[in-house]
Amino acid sequence: MNQNFLEKLSECVEFGKINLASPYPPQMKGFPGADEITKEALEAGVTPTEILNEALITAMNKVGQKFSENKIFVPQMLLSAKAMGASMIHLKPFFANGTVQRKGTFILGTVYGDLHDIGKNLFGMMVEGAGWEVIDLGIDVKIEKFLEAIEQNPTAVVGISALLTTTMVNMKPVIDAIKSVSPDTKVIVGGAPLSVEFAQSIGADGYGKNPQEGIMWLDKIVA
Amino acid sequence: MNKFINQILQGSNVEALPIMTHPGIEAIGKSVREAVSDGNIQYQAIQYLHDHFKTVACTSIMDLTVEAEAFGATVNLPENEIPSVTGRLVCDEESVKNLVVPSLEKGRVPQYLLANQLAAANITDKPVFSGCIGPFSLAGRLYDMSEIMVGIYIEPESIQLLLSKCTEFLVAYCKALKASGTQGVIVAEPAAGLLSGEDCMTYSTFYVKQIVDAVQDDSFTVILHNCGNTGQCTDAMVATGANALHFGNAIDMEGVLKQCPSDVVVLGNLNPVGVFKQGTVESVREETLQLLQKTAGYKNFVISSGCDLPPNVPEANIRAFLETVEMFNI
Ligand code: B12
Repeated sequence: MNQNFLEKLSECVEFGKINLASPYPPQMKGFPGADEITKEALEAGVTPTEILNEALITAMNKVGQKFSENKIFVPQMLLSAKAMGASMIHLKPFFANGTVQRKGTFILGTVYGDLHDIGKNLFGMMVEGAGWEVIDLGIDVKIEKFLEAIEQNPTAVVGISALLTTTMVNMKPVIDAIKSVSPDTKVIVGGAPLSVEFAQSIGADGYGKNPQEGIMWLDKIVA
Repeated sequence: MNKFINQILQGSNVEALPIMTHPGIEAIGKSVREAVSDGNIQYQAIQYLHDHFKTVACTSIMDLTVEAEAFGATVNLPENEIPSVTGRLVCDEESVKNLVVPSLEKGRVPQYLLANQLAAANITDKPVFSGCIGPFSLAGRLYDMSEIMVGIYIEPESIQLLLSKCTEFLVAYCKALKASGTQGVIVAEPAAGLLSGEDCMTYSTFYVKQIVDAVQDDSFTVILHNCGNTGQCTDAMVATGANALHFGNAIDMEGVLKQCPSDVVVLGNLNPVGVFKQGTVESVREETLQLLQKTAGYKNFVISSGCDLPPNVPEANIRAFLETVEMFNI
């Protein structure tokens, strides 16, 4: 029975079925989505941890894989992330009361001067699905805003995104400022024009070419 | 056959068409803000580049905010950076329904028409190409780019209505650009490159084609630019019927040339930042030559930057690019 719920939920997330009302994907139109199934599953006694580990995370791994193989594109991936988000809403109370442990808090933003956010949004949703609490600071995020968020969440890990060669150089001042007030805070960077070498040269602790790599790094530092 | 297309296909040389206005703006000592707000200044920048560089055509600014601003979006105009749209203008069926298609009097549209008119009147020895944003990218700027990506699946009717309104405006704008006397328009549709080929066909091509059908003829070319396409959208770009297709640096040009019909002009794709802005004269020469050699034999190829050249590209690099093309042609 539980397995049935988990399989159905996993399928909803993999194919981006958010809720009953969503017409996508067409072959699941009129059926319950991640939203309803999660609620039912919890009522039937499936544990939040099972939902997270055996449905959401496994589904998002598949989605990430398909994306990196160009089998699906940005819209399909965002839909999966939305479906996952619809499920997560029901898990929030369990995170809040400690029934389920989050892996940690992740502060994420696009560096100042840069307004691209599709990749950052995608990564943020995937990280949330991987069991982290995500604080999204948005686009064009100035140094002070990162520092403020760290002050409020001292144990958080920070992620910075940049899509322009002209703004990726703004990442170093952000990292320098973070390290000077909070030397233990770990920073991961990403975005199309970056490379491992560049990430190392600006003092980032981690780099993710794609969401999976980023999540692997995040999981490693809390393991 | 279209005059410009004919000139390319019949010519024996490889022609060069970097998409640029910023180098001209800098050379005449004006700020980006002045150039994107004042048609006269934009025209002077275009004229400067015409006078100083041997390119096959002139282009106007690739400013992807003019049209969204006309619809009512708030625009940020920094002194010396490319303008940007802030916030979200429409968010659901209701707001899309209420969205009014603006007149060509709104925002900076009259200044852009003026710049094009002045350029067309004063530059008579080569084509001048106007510029505008593409329908899907415009809709994305009004609806939020990430939201429209999922909107096409969960609210397809709202998005299609929004796209129709964007297209209605763009058709009117392109007709006015044509009336200003220019020889074509570069329609920039970068966001469509994030879609699958099939979705690109439904949510971009279908609408771009309406622009093509409305304005393209023997004396006016539509050049469809999509720098987001990594290969999956090429067929959808061809299906718009645009006479010319312009590609970004994320794509393999040889593959594109094999895929596109030989009577469609194909332009691209040197990295505007990595090569033009950050490269040295030597690296620009090398990259240019490499691309020329890879594409040799394709008479429909025009060498270009993969996107609009950003502010602060060294003039020496543009010269190195053009000289390399010239040498290659000898
Ligand atoms: C969509 C787009 C836009 C949209 C942005 C909408 C939005 N809300 O994001 C609009 C039209 C507004 C836009 C504007 C501009 N753009 Co633009 N844009 C693009 C485009 C087509 C796609 C970018 C994208 O979203 N990719 C999809 C996502 C999923 O990929 P991604 O961001 O790389 O993210 C992935 C990974 O990198 C990673 N990741 C991302 N962030 C992070 C963070 C961490 C911590 C980790 C671990 C991983 C990670 O995970 C993601 C999923 O795999 C690219 C071209 C291209 N092919 O990339 C140009 C491109 C990025 N843009 C470019 C330019 C030049 C501009 C403009 C300056 C153009 C102009 N003339 O106005 C402006 C800049 C405005 C500004 N100040 O930021 C250039 C950049 C050149 C360069 N190297 O500097 C590009 C490459 C186009 C080109 N070929 O020239 N753009």
